[in-house]
Amino acid sequence: MLIKMGRKLFYWQICLWQPNRMSAVTIFVLQAESSFSEEEEEKLQIAFSLEKQDLHLVLETISFILEQAVYHNLKPASLQQQLQSIHLDQDKAEAFASAWAAAGQDTIEKFRQRVLTPQKLETIGWQLNLQMAESMQAKLKSPQAVLELGVSNEDSKNLKKVFVEFSHQELFEFYNKLETIQAQLDSLT
Amino acid sequence: MAAVAAGKAAGAAHGHGEGRGGGGGFLGPRVPAEVEAMARGVQEVGHETFRRLLRVTVNALEGKDCKESVKLIAESTSLSEEQLAFLISGMYTLLREALRLPLSTFKQEVFKEDLKELRIPEDFITDFSSIVFGNRRPVSEGTALMQGSRLPNVQDFKWRVDVAISTSSLARALQPSILMLMKLSDGTAHRFEVPVAKFQELRYNVALILKEMNDLEKRSILKIQD
Repeated sequence: MLIKMGRKLFYWQICLWQPNRMSAVTIFVLQAESSFSEEEEEKLQIAFSLEKQDLHLVLETISFILEQAVYHNLKPASLQQQLQSIHLDQDKAEAFASAWAAAGQDTIEKFRQRVLTPQKLETIGWQLNLQMAESMQAKLKSPQAVLELGVSNEDSKNLKKVFVEFSHQELFEFYNKLETIQAQLDSLT
Repeated sequence: MAAVAAGKAAGAAHGHGEGRGGGGGFLGPRVPAEVEAMARGVQEVGHETFRRLLRVTVNALEGKDCKESVKLIAESTSLSEEQLAFLISGMYTLLREALRLPLSTFKQEVFKEDLKELRIPEDFITDFSSIVFGNRRPVSEGTALMQGSRLPNVQDFKWRVDVAISTSSLARALQPSILMLMKLSDGTAHRFEVPVAKFQELRYNVALILKEMNDLEKRSILKIQD
């Protein structure tokens, strides 16, 4: 039994809902990364003529159903079947299924890409320079590359920029290491 | 190196002196004041003392500590501290400027000619030459000679490829990801995750830079005559 519905109160509410409103809210929950803001909640309350507590309950339960669908990677048909087997109305189950069919794959992909590490590489920039001289050496003519890596930190909003300089030889060695990593990735598939 | 620092400061405070008849050649249109002062002062210095001063200067160029040796010289010769300062700083500047120039374009005869213009005694010129052109050339890995201003480069690069089998959001994720640890030469370490798509972008960009570097090195701009 995949979906455990312990919320009897929700049952009643969900049964009383119109199917088209449900699908609108379902898609909305799927697309929103974070929960609804205060104003949005108020608008929903008015639109669906629900009390604040009831609205919360409905939203929470829809989120729960969707999270379970993501976790088990359910196909829309299978989701519909499961919902119907816990005695949800046919049309409401259909609303779920169609919303899932529309945005399900993208949602699963988004969850797949989530990383747990606090720092993630976001941007890559680079610059190729030809160094002509420096204070200790005249007449150089050596190419230098500067790689700018933008690393995001979970806590702060800003991107930390890491600047790394490479000579031709150093860059070549770095490239070989990247090739090794790529070979490992290829061996996975 | 108190003597060298004092000498350098004295030279800078005086400003670059007027060049004598056409300038110092490899030293530029205006011979630095401390080099001129050294050229004058070195006339009265004995060969042995000169050799000891030269050794101290070379050690200073290589980044070694020479306070002891300078003190020894000060004690064993009749030179005043100010004289020592000018001599050592002049020799330091002269050698540093000479060592900047690549050997492919800087010839020994030119160097010797320039030193002759400064009226430095013949034997001393030979000693200078052997340092710049001979096998006594200071190792360029020494701190004084290789302190170019650079951005940090990669000291150590570690990576791992993980596959997330299951997460709290997905029962079967099977998503590969790459974790990189980069230690830079300025001491900082950066650990970050690279999504596979970003990794491809990184690889592509690095390959692109390498290609551009190759093209650059082949182009005629690098065949500019020095």
